Amino acid sequence: METEATRSFLPLAAFLLPLAGAVLTVPLRRISARVRDITLLALTALCASVAVWLAAHVAGGAVYEAYLLQLTPDIWMYMRVDALGALFGATVAVLWMLALVYSWGYMAEGHRLGRYYSFFMLSLAWTMGVAYSGNLLTFLIFYELFSILTYPLVVHEQTPEAMAAGTKYIIYILVGGSLVLLAIVLTYFAAGDQTLRTGGILSADIGQQSLFAIFWCYIAGFGVKAALVPLHGWVPDAHPAAPAPFSAVLSGVMVAAGSFGIMRVLFQVFGVELLREMGVMSMVTILAGFTVLFAAVLAVNQDNLKRRLAYSTISQMAYVVLGVSLLGSDSTIGAIIHVTNHAFMKGGLFLCAGLFIRRLGVHRVSQLDGAAKRMPVTAAGFAIAALGMIGTPPLSGFVSKWYLGLGMLETGNPLLLVVLLGGALLAAIYLLPIVYRMYFREPVLTADDKVTTEGREAPASMLVPLVIVTLLTIALGLGASLPGMPVSLARMAAETFFH
Amino acid sequence: MDGAHVASEVVHTAAEVAHVTASPLPLLLVLVPLLGAALVYPLGRRWPKVRDAWVVVIAALTLLGATGLIPLIAEHHRVESVVHMLIGTLSFSVDSFSMLFAVFTSFIWLASTLYSLDYLKHEQKHDRYHTTSLVVLAAMLGVVLAGDLITLYLCFEALGLVAFLFVIHTETDDAKKASIKYFWMTVVGGFALIGGIFLTYALGGTGAIGPLPTGHGDELIRWAAAIMLILGFGVKAGMVPVHVWLPDAHPVAPSPASALLSGVMIKAGAYGIFRVVTGIFRPEVAETIEESLWHFSEQLGLAVLWIGIATMAIGVFLALQQSNAKRMLAYHSVSQMGFILAGIGAAGYLGAHGAMGVAGGLFHVVNHALFKACLFLGVGAVYFRTRSLDMYHLGGLWKKMPLTFLFTLIAAMGITGVPLLNGFVSKCLIHHAIVEAWEYHHLASLGIAEKIYVVTCGGTAASFIKLIGLVFLGKPKVEYGPEVKDAPKRMLVAMAALSVAIITLGLRPQILLRGVFQPGLHTWGLHGDILDDYLAHYFLSPADLMSVVVAFALGFTFFFVGMRFGLFHLHGPKWLSIDWWYRQIAHGLIAFCVATDSAYEAVRGAASRLLRRTLSEYGGLVIRMGRQQRLLVATLLTGAPGARDQHFIQHAYVTLERERQDAVRRAVAQAIEKLRPRVGETATVDEAAYLDAVRDIAGYMSQRLMTERMGVLSDLTRTGDLQAARAPFEAVRSELTRVYRPIAETAIANAPRRMRGESVTREVASAVNAILSNERFDLLIASAIPQSRQALGQVLEIGASVRHGLPPRSAIQAARAGGLSALERAAAWSVEMLAIVVDALTREGTGRLLDRPIDETTVLGTRLGIQRYARDIGLNVTVLLVLLLAFIGALALR
Repeated sequence: METEATRSFLPLAAFLLPLAGAVLTVPLRRISARVRDITLLALTALCASVAVWLAAHVAGGAVYEAYLLQLTPDIWMYMRVDALGALFGATVAVLWMLALVYSWGYMAEGHRLGRYYSFFMLSLAWTMGVAYSGNLLTFLIFYELFSILTYPLVVHEQTPEAMAAGTKYIIYILVGGSLVLLAIVLTYFAAGDQTLRTGGILSADIGQQSLFAIFWCYIAGFGVKAALVPLHGWVPDAHPAAPAPFSAVLSGVMVAAGSFGIMRVLFQVFGVELLREMGVMSMVTILAGFTVLFAAVLAVNQDNLKRRLAYSTISQMAYVVLGVSLLGSDSTIGAIIHVTNHAFMKGGLFLCAGLFIRRLGVHRVSQLDGAAKRMPVTAAGFAIAALGMIGTPPLSGFVSKWYLGLGMLETGNPLLLVVLLGGALLAAIYLLPIVYRMYFREPVLTADDKVTTEGREAPASMLVPLVIVTLLTIALGLGASLPGMPVSLARMAAETFFH
Repeated sequence: MDGAHVASEVVHTAAEVAHVTASPLPLLLVLVPLLGAALVYPLGRRWPKVRDAWVVVIAALTLLGATGLIPLIAEHHRVESVVHMLIGTLSFSVDSFSMLFAVFTSFIWLASTLYSLDYLKHEQKHDRYHTTSLVVLAAMLGVVLAGDLITLYLCFEALGLVAFLFVIHTETDDAKKASIKYFWMTVVGGFALIGGIFLTYALGGTGAIGPLPTGHGDELIRWAAAIMLILGFGVKAGMVPVHVWLPDAHPVAPSPASALLSGVMIKAGAYGIFRVVTGIFRPEVAETIEESLWHFSEQLGLAVLWIGIATMAIGVFLALQQSNAKRMLAYHSVSQMGFILAGIGAAGYLGAHGAMGVAGGLFHVVNHALFKACLFLGVGAVYFRTRSLDMYHLGGLWKKMPLTFLFTLIAAMGITGVPLLNGFVSKCLIHHAIVEAWEYHHLASLGIAEKIYVVTCGGTAASFIKLIGLVFLGKPKVEYGPEVKDAPKRMLVAMAALSVAIITLGLRPQILLRGVFQPGLHTWGLHGDILDDYLAHYFLSPADLMSVVVAFALGFTFFFVGMRFGLFHLHGPKWLSIDWWYRQIAHGLIAFCVATDSAYEAVRGAASRLLRRTLSEYGGLVIRMGRQQRLLVATLLTGAPGARDQHFIQHAYVTLERERQDAVRRAVAQAIEKLRPRVGETATVDEAAYLDAVRDIAGYMSQRLMTERMGVLSDLTRTGDLQAARAPFEAVRSELTRVYRPIAETAIANAPRRMRGESVTREVASAVNAILSNERFDLLIASAIPQSRQALGQVLEIGASVRHGLPPRSAIQAARAGGLSALERAAAWSVEMLAIVVDALTREGTGRLLDRPIDETTVLGTRLGIQRYARDIGLNVTVLLVLLLAFIGALALR
């Protein structure tokens, strides 16, 4: 039951606007930094409004498509906005816009801003492309571009740690990317060039062995980006090394891009029925469940705040894969909205981490004692995001966990609740002591700590994005059942996947 | 779901619909305090007085709204409001029981708020206190008015998390410790609760707080759900064994907050357990009551009944050990929750006949809220005036604080169950319920439970005799200052209101029994006639009065025996306390996380080290192999490698060259010294010429010396003994400086003649020869060379002289063949050059010359290197030529 798609230039615009921004970054700097900042913001805001507009209309039942480029007479680069992509695209664009505004303050004394901003915009363009890809080839091209071209952002600080993390990142990502490439080549070999569609494009005729090979190539390839446990090594190193606004999008949407890829592939390349027939999903479930708990356990002992958050990301993103792997409609809804909810919550946490670094010079959790007195707004934002992450109602994290939990019961796996609640409990163990420290501990400063004593609240340009993501966390929770909210889009997507 | 069941559900819902009405009142009850809380900070910052009035008004409005529910419920039985939020909808639904909870909650809240206005004078952060208070009020009302499990969970979590601010309010070390324990237990309880709620969905539930469909889902999940729900609510209720946070958290809060925590908030847990036992796991009441369906709820009720018995006994035992008055009251909260749980458990166990249990449990909820709040306020007033909470250090306060004493006494009499006060009624009801339960199936264990119940009542009496006796009666143990007088008016009003309620309910229990419980039970389809029966036959009956007398007799016995033998200061070993075990588990969990992380990092580190080491070893191997290969080629081409000799010769050259320069410098310096006394500082032309002459002569002499010395060393190279000369060479270096003096003298002596243009060669040469013969550099070096080698050398010398005697071989060859051809000569030259290049390549360290800081040695070394290179460059040309030739040859061959 594919809806007839409407031709529209909007998907293209969502991709081209940030691309234009990337191109204009350096020339605009010649005029003035202010002009560059404002223009970039205008372009991203435009991109975000296009994405939100698309999401709103897709929620109303429309589907949009656009042809980008003819590669060969047969193969087009083709964009198609369905419910899944629209939601992901809107999340990406909004979070990116907020991170951009935040960058003004965060990168104020930074070096090589031209490089930073242009790659920042480029990454947005590619990620929008990933979200709106209509066939596997387009998906592959955007996915690889954005994976590789974010390298300059990972190593932006150019400290030895950042360079080492960057090397690790690029090795992991290239290996993962190659596996994805291999899988897509195999898919083309087996099924030819086809639009992604419900019910899958592969059929059981090609033989069990080939299907398994393709399946595991996809899972391993996207698993690197989605940070499933044996493949997660780059995440805890890349996050602390990268600048905070980029960490926020890295954690919020780039890791999620891996999960997004897994969803696309499972539901639109294989299709639910074929997957059920293959009977491989239980292994993915085990892998994801293990990832949830293992990464959360590791997070407890991290003293570097951003590193702790990075492990948290691994754990939370595994919830998404876990939800998808159950092949139940409620759990899929939970997985899809968890991408969005997690993006804003984790984005918020990373923005706070960046503020602590910039305003207090604090990188480690153990130095955060009494931070709330100096930075009340930031501390409040952190506390709310942390509670959301744990799944406290009425914040958005609760909504996704609720659907995930219902999905587990729906598919007859009540034991998985242990993973769901255990992960949440561990999240409480690694996040809430930080909140407690900020509010109820007296700051202790030793002579060798490079902590400035009179840190103050951050400038408005850095606080506004934080306040907005915090409000989104609350609104996405309180208003979850309203029409046009992520849940309704996720429900549409799940309905098409499961007929 | 079978058809019959669906049918019965339809009948029931149809019956219920008739009673339900929609009203915004329940929603407003939650929203008003919440919105009121939003204004506390802005008001408090500017006008604290207005803020105080504001919070009282909000609390009063809430109470007004809650009482407004009474007529609505009386008319419609159930009131609902629904709001679209979160997942689907949040709904509030009020029946008689919810209404009861809402009314007493807001009543006690008002009293406590009034009380707090004066009490907080000693505390900081009034705005935070009042905001917390109103938010918690909203959450509490949300819990008891919730119409579905999601709303219930939302409010329950909010209640637990926000009340954290009450516990930590004073921010003392004790408060922080207690609040952390409180917090984690609340969080874990919350997870248990949501887990239980999830599982009810697996049992076919829809999130409604009503009976689950029977025969759906397996027994294991049903038990898991029940246990998780009861644990989740039980943490808040202070149920044994998850009560450990309560005795720490309640006393450290400010007294009005303690009153709320102990009086009201733990009732949220009781409310939850009540709904679980008698609501969720109770089968739907149909036309006929089928016994088999009640089996599960019976079992669950029995379990809760026993938990209640254990809670009450353990709580009262621990309460008797306390000396801090508030801590003792907190343990009594645990114990009294046991009474409530026992009542609810009996209700569950008795199933359709559980009216007495429901009434007893819930009546006790209300009663406990009233008298425990009043007790905390009374003890708080004592603390407010005396700043002391230790019962053993107070005494005789009844004279100083008569009204406080009166209200505290009323509350204490209430809790111990003195007739005509409220506690008497509920305790008797629970007692009847337990007896009824025992009669139901005649389980022997329930007979024991009944005995424990009576003893517990005695323990309760004992500890309140202790409280009143030690604090208010007897002789003062300390001198009280003039500030110890009755509490301020507003505090007294609050206590008075609670006391009046205690007495009213004691005298007129039918208000609740007929007004709330009977209609409430009726909406479930159960009969509450037994309550009429109670009022008619048992209320204030001699048997019940006797039980009070027994309790007090036991109480006095416990008290006097305990005081006499010091039994109130017993402390068990720490492993006996559940608290200790929880701590171990919590620490174990953290330690597990840390250990996992360390293990993971260790494995990761080991793996990457292994990888790196393998890589570097591989790299080293490649380099070593390359070196060996070069050595092999060099050996093949030139025989034994001469690199070490070369290095030593170079070193010796540099050393000797420096000696040479030093010798010249020394001579010139001496000459200058000789000149200085004669002339001033500037040198004339003559003097400059004189110095030049000195330099020339000294240079010539030292150059010859150096040549001779190098000659000795080169000679050793030929005999292969150079390495043996290494050590002696270093040793004799100091000896070499002895020649400076003769050189300088000779130079200065002969300089004038040289200036005049005369030849001094003979004098200088003889001087050099004299120096050389004195020095015998060859002997100095050779002394270290083994004698055998010297002997061998002499033999070889003889051999050589013999050979020299023969005509040279080349001459023979030349005579025979007329000399080498040009080609042969070129080949010989090439081989010689090749040998040189190999030698150059295998020389060590030449490439690193520039790494060192440039000093004299370096300069000398470099000079030597350049000289060598100039000699060797011919080879490069040769190689190029050979290559070119080979290339041309290759071209030609094609």
